[in-house]
Amino acid sequence: MSDHDDDERTIHHRFSRRALVVGGVQAAGLGALGWRFFNLQVVEEGRYAPLADENRINLQVLAPKRGRIFDARGTVLAENEEVFRATLTPALAGDVGAVLALFRRIVPMAQDDAEKIARRAKKQNRNLAIPLATDLSFEQVAKINVFAPQLPGVRTEIGWRRRYRQGSAAGHIVGYVGSVERLGLDDDAVLRLPGAKVGKSGIEAGMELTLRGKGGAQKIEVDARGRIVRNLETLDPVGGSDLVLTIDMALQRRVVDRLSRERRASCVGIDIATGEVILMASSPGYDPAEISDGISEDAWQRLAASDDRPLMNRAISGQYPPGSTFKMVTALAALQAKLIDTQERITCEGSFKLADKTYRCWNRSGHGSMSLHEALRSSCDVYFFELARRLGIETLADVARLCGLGAAFECGLSDPKSGLVPDPDWKRGRWNANWLGGETILTGIGQGYMLTTPVQLAVMTARIASGKAVVPTLVRRDPKEAAQPFADLGFAETHLDAVRRGLIAVVNDDQGTGRNAALGDGMPKVAGKTGTSQISRASSDTAQENLPWKLRDHALFVSYYPADAPRYAFAAIVEHGGGGGATAAPLVREVMAAVIERDAALMRGALVPTLTGREG
Amino acid sequence: MAYTYGSAPQDGLAAKMWRVHWPVLIVAGAIAGIGTAALYSVAGGSFQPWAERHTLRFLVVAGVVLMMAMVRPEVWLKAAYPAYALALVSLALVPFAGIEALGAKRWLAFGGITFQPSEFMKLALVAALARYYQWLPDARMSKPVWVLVPALMIIIPVVLTLRQPDLGSGVLFAVLGLSLMFLAGVSAFYFAGAGIATIAALPIIWSRLHDYQRRRVETFLNPEHDPLGAGYHITQSKIALGSGGVSGKGYLQGTQSQLDFVPEKHTDFIATMLGEEWGFAGLLVLLALYALLLAMMLMMAWRCRHVFGRLVIGGAAMTLFVYVFINLAMVTGLVPVVGVPLPLVSYGGTAMTTLMIGLGLAMSSHVHGETPLRRDEVGPLF
Repeated sequence: MSDHDDDERTIHHRFSRRALVVGGVQAAGLGALGWRFFNLQVVEEGRYAPLADENRINLQVLAPKRGRIFDARGTVLAENEEVFRATLTPALAGDVGAVLALFRRIVPMAQDDAEKIARRAKKQNRNLAIPLATDLSFEQVAKINVFAPQLPGVRTEIGWRRRYRQGSAAGHIVGYVGSVERLGLDDDAVLRLPGAKVGKSGIEAGMELTLRGKGGAQKIEVDARGRIVRNLETLDPVGGSDLVLTIDMALQRRVVDRLSRERRASCVGIDIATGEVILMASSPGYDPAEISDGISEDAWQRLAASDDRPLMNRAISGQYPPGSTFKMVTALAALQAKLIDTQERITCEGSFKLADKTYRCWNRSGHGSMSLHEALRSSCDVYFFELARRLGIETLADVARLCGLGAAFECGLSDPKSGLVPDPDWKRGRWNANWLGGETILTGIGQGYMLTTPVQLAVMTARIASGKAVVPTLVRRDPKEAAQPFADLGFAETHLDAVRRGLIAVVNDDQGTGRNAALGDGMPKVAGKTGTSQISRASSDTAQENLPWKLRDHALFVSYYPADAPRYAFAAIVEHGGGGGATAAPLVREVMAAVIERDAALMRGALVPTLTGREG
Repeated sequence: MAYTYGSAPQDGLAAKMWRVHWPVLIVAGAIAGIGTAALYSVAGGSFQPWAERHTLRFLVVAGVVLMMAMVRPEVWLKAAYPAYALALVSLALVPFAGIEALGAKRWLAFGGITFQPSEFMKLALVAALARYYQWLPDARMSKPVWVLVPALMIIIPVVLTLRQPDLGSGVLFAVLGLSLMFLAGVSAFYFAGAGIATIAALPIIWSRLHDYQRRRVETFLNPEHDPLGAGYHITQSKIALGSGGVSGKGYLQGTQSQLDFVPEKHTDFIATMLGEEWGFAGLLVLLALYALLLAMMLMMAWRCRHVFGRLVIGGAAMTLFVYVFINLAMVTGLVPVVGVPLPLVSYGGTAMTTLMIGLGLAMSSHVHGETPLRRDEVGPLF
């Protein structure tokens, strides 16, 4: 025998050993599977073996109870109400047509709906229950149960219906629930239940997962006719968490009432220290109860197709040019970049020339020589054109983002818009064109491409009033968690103060554009800024009253008070309301007066204290 | 000669046919027959739409096995590296040119034919590793460099499939490749080292997982936690199995799986149906048939006279085992749900074709087991 054969023999011996190991692993694997089958099928047989051969075991999903929604003082905004409903399981029904015919003699049903159910029974998984009717009366439930033998597959069960108690005043905030439209494989089994509802808008949608809870499950044995023989195992559902919002319904209602005098308007107020939104109104509104109780196609079309877009929450989804309210950001950016100081004066002759174009100030005759303070107070466009030119778009856009513009604040709501802080990158991506110097100039006074939502404007104001990175929220924090103070934005206090003095002058100076927002003697001092955002070329040449409503400017006003120790910040917009000082400033004054009244009542103890109110 | 077995090279077709390992084919046929019966029952007592096609498909691929068995293993050996290279290229192409189905890109269309590069790779990887060890002199077997080469041959396709993402195939490549290296004789220290390194790396992998991936692992470790989400299918499957008991409810009598409670009941979850209708006894028979098939294949490998053949046969056996194990462990809730069919029983052509072509490669080496495929006659690459 040669060496080669010896080699071959060693190799083969090694292979034999290794093959034995592999074979052993495989045997162990198959053995483990056999053991597993033994456990499932022999040891635990009693658990799952049905009592009779034609019986089967059914895994039923148990719906969790949806969390309720309260306002800051415990007023119910959304809760659940017990309803009786009936479902049909096609697999158990046999002749679906006959069952439906009898059922319709007990519970009247439109021909259309009955046909829809019959079609669905043919198409879908025959073991899934189809909702037949909700909101059954006691008598109907009794009748169905009496006729149960003739109604195979029909079952009555207790369900929950969402109830909205506050009408349209809280509509945009609370939102509403509706039927599940699309189901993915990974989706929560709770959504597969007949009649399952999910949040479609507002807090209901934004906080869906918190409100929904976790489904339970029940393993039951049913006989061939679908009657429950025994209960094998139950896992209780875990209800969704209740939510407490930061708004105060009494205050909210007053603001909504005030806004309803305008055709389209929105107003937001936030607590600067905590970011809590104390009021958020958008007009026109809608009553969520109408929608969730099954709105008629006509009524829905009226809401969805209306020019005034009542379904949209303008406070977070309405995007408008900020107009002159943005000048506080331009001023702060220029101070911060050391491109201006409080002493330097710029002369306004009513227009500003850049390249071969002329940009006009709203005051055609010119403001004359202006300091920063005077320019803010009188809202001089030319002064801010010049600041924007010195700054350049990139620096300006950076500071605007620091102030909260261009970012979507959901506050717990669904579908917030992020507005737009334009810059050269954006323009190249969107229009494939280069940024022009003139566009920087227009951005400096909040016109051009720039878009903001009322919530963003309130945040911008709160950030300048406090110098902190205020983030708004509509959902009250768990009182057990320590409050996280907002981070400092890094602006120099002297620069912030220079801007704030200008904002105080806007409201309190004789020449200020926002005098209409002053609260009067003995009341807190207000700081603010007017804005009038042009939406058409014509508006600058014609008096607003003479223009068709649709072409009039949007009126904006932002403010905070008390001026020396800011507590609340506000923003309001009245679409096509004309001048900010004339239309929006007085509106905000009324809102602030309402807040002051509320706070005074709270201090006196005349109101029930908030559930988990702020201290001091 | 101590290890004489098989035919002389000059044997004719009839003699080769005589050498075919018929018992292996017969047991495979018996398992496929169980599949036919199960598919007949799942369809509510009908050969349509699955049982008939399943049977025909098995007969066709069994024919392919016989044809492949007639071809000399040198042909497969020469084709191994080019096939591996082709499989790598097509795997790499999937993200760009692949066809998306069921949320994952796994298919490639070539002319009028669509195929799954990851399936092709399973065969190519086995053949390429077998060819590598056919060439590698035994003295170099456990030298680091010569361990690194096959390790890379395994890791590259694993990484490519993980990016698809196709976790199931990635794991299969790794298990297949490592067991071939083990069978070939690479020092056991490497495997111990790799095992320890994996355990040590687990916390790091865990920390780098996405949240949803972690949740999936947690759901798997504690399925009662989420009986409605990811655990839903498993719960239904366990109920069906458990309701079968020792002897089952009887053929065509299953109520749980006949109804639509169990998902994928004709493909990945077909064992649920078997367990319900034929009970524990039926599943034991099925397990015994698989065990018999695996044992016969390992014997085939042991009797083969060349390394290429031993590893190709061992690889085919390992593929079969991994499929069976993962599928049945999944159905009984031992491992998370990954889309792996039950070999020869589940309806579907892809996995059956892969397995039977693997068996064809094995059979070719078996039929020509005596051929002196000497390592010194095989070049490093050609």
